[in-house]
Amino acid sequence: MIKKTIHKELKELFRDGRIKMASIIVLLLMVTAIWISTNQYNRSNEQYEKAKVAEREVWDNQGEKNPHSAAHYGTYVFKSKQPLSLLDQGVDKYTGTSIFLAAHTRSEAEYSEVADQSELARFGQLSPDFILLYIIPLLIILIGYNSFTKENEMGTMSLLKSQGAVPWKIMIGKWVAIFLPIALMTIVLFVIAGILLSTLDGYTPFKWSSLFVLLLVYLFYYVIFINITLFVSKNVRKSGVSLVLLLGVWIISCLAAPKAASNFAESEYPYPTRQEFENTIAIAKKEGLDGHDPWSDAAKRLEKEVLEEYNVDSLHKLPFNFNGYRMQKGEEHEAAVYKTHYEKLKNQFEKQVDTYITTSVISPFLPTRLLSMGIAGTDYYSHWDFADAAENYRIAAQKFLNDDLAYNTKYGQRNYVADADFWKKLPTFNYQPPGLATIIKQNTFSILVLLAWGLITSALLFNFRTKN
Amino acid sequence: MITTNNLTKKYGDFTALNQLSLTVNPGEIYCLLGANGAGKSTTINLLLGFLKPTSGVALINGKDVATNTISTKKDIAYIPENLMLYPTLTAVENLDYFSGIGGQKLPKETLESLLSQAGLQSDAFYKRTGAFSKGMRQKVGIAIALAKEAKALLLDEPTSGLDPKASNEFGRLLQGLKQNNVAILMATHDLFRAKEIATNIGIMKNGKLLEQFVSDEISLPVLEETYLKTMNYKELAV
Repeated sequence: MIKKTIHKELKELFRDGRIKMASIIVLLLMVTAIWISTNQYNRSNEQYEKAKVAEREVWDNQGEKNPHSAAHYGTYVFKSKQPLSLLDQGVDKYTGTSIFLAAHTRSEAEYSEVADQSELARFGQLSPDFILLYIIPLLIILIGYNSFTKENEMGTMSLLKSQGAVPWKIMIGKWVAIFLPIALMTIVLFVIAGILLSTLDGYTPFKWSSLFVLLLVYLFYYVIFINITLFVSKNVRKSGVSLVLLLGVWIISCLAAPKAASNFAESEYPYPTRQEFENTIAIAKKEGLDGHDPWSDAAKRLEKEVLEEYNVDSLHKLPFNFNGYRMQKGEEHEAAVYKTHYEKLKNQFEKQVDTYITTSVISPFLPTRLLSMGIAGTDYYSHWDFADAAENYRIAAQKFLNDDLAYNTKYGQRNYVADADFWKKLPTFNYQPPGLATIIKQNTFSILVLLAWGLITSALLFNFRTKN
Repeated sequence: MITTNNLTKKYGDFTALNQLSLTVNPGEIYCLLGANGAGKSTTINLLLGFLKPTSGVALINGKDVATNTISTKKDIAYIPENLMLYPTLTAVENLDYFSGIGGQKLPKETLESLLSQAGLQSDAFYKRTGAFSKGMRQKVGIAIALAKEAKALLLDEPTSGLDPKASNEFGRLLQGLKQNNVAILMATHDLFRAKEIATNIGIMKNGKLLEQFVSDEISLPVLEETYLKTMNYKELAV
């Protein structure tokens, strides 16, 4: 009975001109979105490669220079495109791709993609995640809104019942008949993306396992939408009512809920303004050691401590240049200040995300969106991870430069310059994004919420099984 | 084969069917006559298990329908007043699906043969049923019943809206099923067709079975007069 129903439903679907047309449009949109996304991916990777090489050349070829001048001269590190950003660009466009690394200051990422776009970017763009998150659920509604209502309206339901149709078997048949074409379309899109990613040059290795997990997330998202669609179709009398109700569900789930959730999260746990944040950091920095100022109380205290530690009575007798040492200690203090305040910011962000996920009870879109961006490596967690890696590299680079000053010069020595080849000894910045296991662990709650949506909607859909 | 014992269906204070008792044996056609709201369709819906009786029992092949809703369906075929099929599927595909739901796996040749037995023209076998007339759809319905080899056939005003030729063909099909020992219960307004094909005729009003006849023992004029009197259409009675 299930097989017969699947077969019958699929025949009806493929013979229905509206469904055929809608499916073709969605497929075309998918292919176009993949094409646009691939171009962007390639362009970004080219820019990344050029910028990375050019910036390193600039650094390596500074010539003879004082290491602290080089520290202020600074360098840029760049974020490479994650392979799965081909499918979900997440917040990549807004977060910036380049971080300037210099002494004393932790910089924010700059040069976001949207900053380079015209006002038209405000209208959004066609991307695979748009199709996956918004359009396919709409297609599910279009395919399934009258699955049951049409049987009642046409009068075929009574004939089905008289033939001894078992309701849950008919339900499974209809369910599978919607799921199969949707799954097929999605799998085609993912396979195309996988093949492209396997052949395209990227800077972060592409993993089929991540693509597979992302596919599972989306398929599960569609399972939930199919459940909701069939539940509504089963429980209302008219196809028109079913369609309106389901469009309402789609609008609330995919359009209203995400905006309301982010507004709510931001109002509950607001970020400080940039001015407040920078002022707080400036005050905290002033409370500690300034590596440039040998006359401050903090510098004097450090001097006393070091002399005592090395049991000498003059800075000249230390086995290193105290100026370089002080510069490093100042840097460490500033890095600690940044760490503390960025951690607070991160905590606030995590609270926002938690609040955002809590509102997932009103929409399966929210956990799916978060999981998709997480697995694609384009969410804020990924950006934080990159920014933290850049900051760690900055701290290590400053130590590298300060140590040269401390251990290759003598206290009081002026006009020291490192030789022209010295800069090449600074290791390159090699960022490794978090692995799939870490991402899954980070998004456990989203996974649980999505599973709960799946279980609850399935239970609602099949609850009449016991009755019959 | 088809039995009701004091079968009653109430909706609050309204009694749709009041202690109906009747039996249709294999090879018999029982026609239930009555105006709209007489309880004919309620009887059929109770026999199909679509409704639960307030009291009394509906039996198909000796099994209580209310407690054996699924298993009794194996023995029943049903043709509603306006039998609807899936318009984008062909006659063969519709027959294949509905017989499949009834547990039959029939090869294409058998499906074609069943449609042919039901009187459908062969050139319509592979046409989508969206363009079928009511008579053609009823024939597919008969083919579904034939495919199921149902022991009982329930028909709810199957000839209403059919032209005389189609109605006549339909009557002949039912006679054929009767000869195959199928017990047939048909709700209808069509006295002429009832007299022509029925072995037994019952007249219902306000949920009650008021009159019962053996068809061969009553002439059409007497049946018509009795019907009109029963319905209180005295001014029309001779």
